[in-house]
Amino acid sequence: MIRVEHIPAGDSSKRIALIVIDRPEKRNALTPDMVGNIESSAQLVRSGEGCADAVVLTGEGSSFCSGFDLSLCRDDERMMAALLSRLSSAIRTLRRLPAPVIIAAQGAAIAGGCALLGGADVVVTDRHAKLGYPVVRLGVSPAVTSPALLNAVSGGSLRKLLLDPGLIDGGEAHRIGLAHEVVEAPEDVRPRAIEIATALARFPAHGMHATKRWLNEIDGSDRDDVFDGALNASLAIVGGDEERSRLAALWEKKE
Amino acid sequence: MTAELATLTHDGAVATLALNRPESRNALSLDLIEALRARVRELSAAKETTVCVMTGEGKAFCAGMDLRAVIDDPEAPGQLLRAIAELTIELRALPMVTLAKVNGAAIGGGCGLVCVCDLAMTHADAKLGYPEVSMGVCPAVVAPWLVRKIGAGPARRMLLMGGVLSGREALDEGLVSGVVESRNELDAATGEVVERLRNAGPNAIRATKNWVNEMESGGLAAQVRRGAMISTEVISHPDARDALKRVFEGRSG
Repeated sequence: MIRVEHIPAGDSSKRIALIVIDRPEKRNALTPDMVGNIESSAQLVRSGEGCADAVVLTGEGSSFCSGFDLSLCRDDERMMAALLSRLSSAIRTLRRLPAPVIIAAQGAAIAGGCALLGGADVVVTDRHAKLGYPVVRLGVSPAVTSPALLNAVSGGSLRKLLLDPGLIDGGEAHRIGLAHEVVEAPEDVRPRAIEIATALARFPAHGMHATKRWLNEIDGSDRDDVFDGALNASLAIVGGDEERSRLAALWEKKE
Repeated sequence: MTAELATLTHDGAVATLALNRPESRNALSLDLIEALRARVRELSAAKETTVCVMTGEGKAFCAGMDLRAVIDDPEAPGQLLRAIAELTIELRALPMVTLAKVNGAAIGGGCGLVCVCDLAMTHADAKLGYPEVSMGVCPAVVAPWLVRKIGAGPARRMLLMGGVLSGREALDEGLVSGVVESRNELDAATGEVVERLRNAGPNAIRATKNWVNEMESGGLAAQVRRGAMISTEVISHPDARDALKRVFEGRSG
């Protein structure tokens, strides 16, 4: 359900790894294995056969990613903790890749899907895409995303996004800094992301890697204590009565 | 001789600091940097000055680090980058409001000076930005300043994507605080801001400037100095040498 393609960066010898979340029939809802595979696919670009000079992460179909597959959490309490932990790990890995990471977030990037954006250096979305973290309604805390989110948006926007369980559109996401580029049509998102990746892949690698590493040091993206603190804040309420009753209510409504 | 590379004039509470190397688009040579640092030291003692306008003589504001002059001397880049780092630290510490009047191109280290100033005015046709990464160079000295100016996310995208912005795009990104349509209007528009500041209370300006500097100070100077080391390492790498040679050959050919 995670697919990797390699595409040449224009007419150069450089290449781009296109990592695709490929579960369109479920709007690319994430299982723990899928999150783990996103991370391992990203690790492969560092060297060897999977090696690439830029990464594009996107989703197949009309939505980038609708978040965790909550149906798994209904039957198994351990799933939510596994999803949160792997998500935190995947964000860190993407962020720390030496190669630039561009996320093509068309249509929807919700909850865990929106949190993935924290791994990107550049986020492209479309004007009417829906983005946000509407999970406090479900008794789940989106705190896990906060270190990466705070690097993208202001403190005020962070509070609104995490505490007010609504969604924003792509235009608003661009205005507050959650997305860096916004195109009009969802189908233009991936081509634009590949265009950016092509330009960045062709820059001399040594300077690119050093600059990204330095930015990670300046903004704290290289610090596990910060990511661990955020993850633990989300994990602390997993499996509690509130979460269980609210997720149960969600299923009753659906059935 | 050296002192003439940077001129400092006073008009009451308003000072003007100009980069005066127009034949090289005010590119930051070691001599120019040291001249600027001497002028900044003078300014740090100017008790009645409330605003300092920084600008470039000729068409450009500042074309950035004088790479052509240093590319063949392995010691020179480190020396230049360390001096630029100190200049930015000293410029930031000035007790008055600093306003960059970006009369033309502000590239790389030149755009770094714009970033360090409290305010910046430019015109729609000016070109500003940090194309270093596209040339195999690492803009590590400017990165801590830019992160504080426009936020970590926008700074990351701007530095990793390279390229240059128009004056209007620079305003949208928060890199400058005001933009006018054409170069002809820049003096008047800058003058309006300067007149607002001319009559401000010197003590109030000083207290406020000191406080906003203090709020951001946690290790900032150390970070900027470390940035100079990182940038030196990258520029000394064969990747950067090759890329820069290609750039220079392309320009002269």
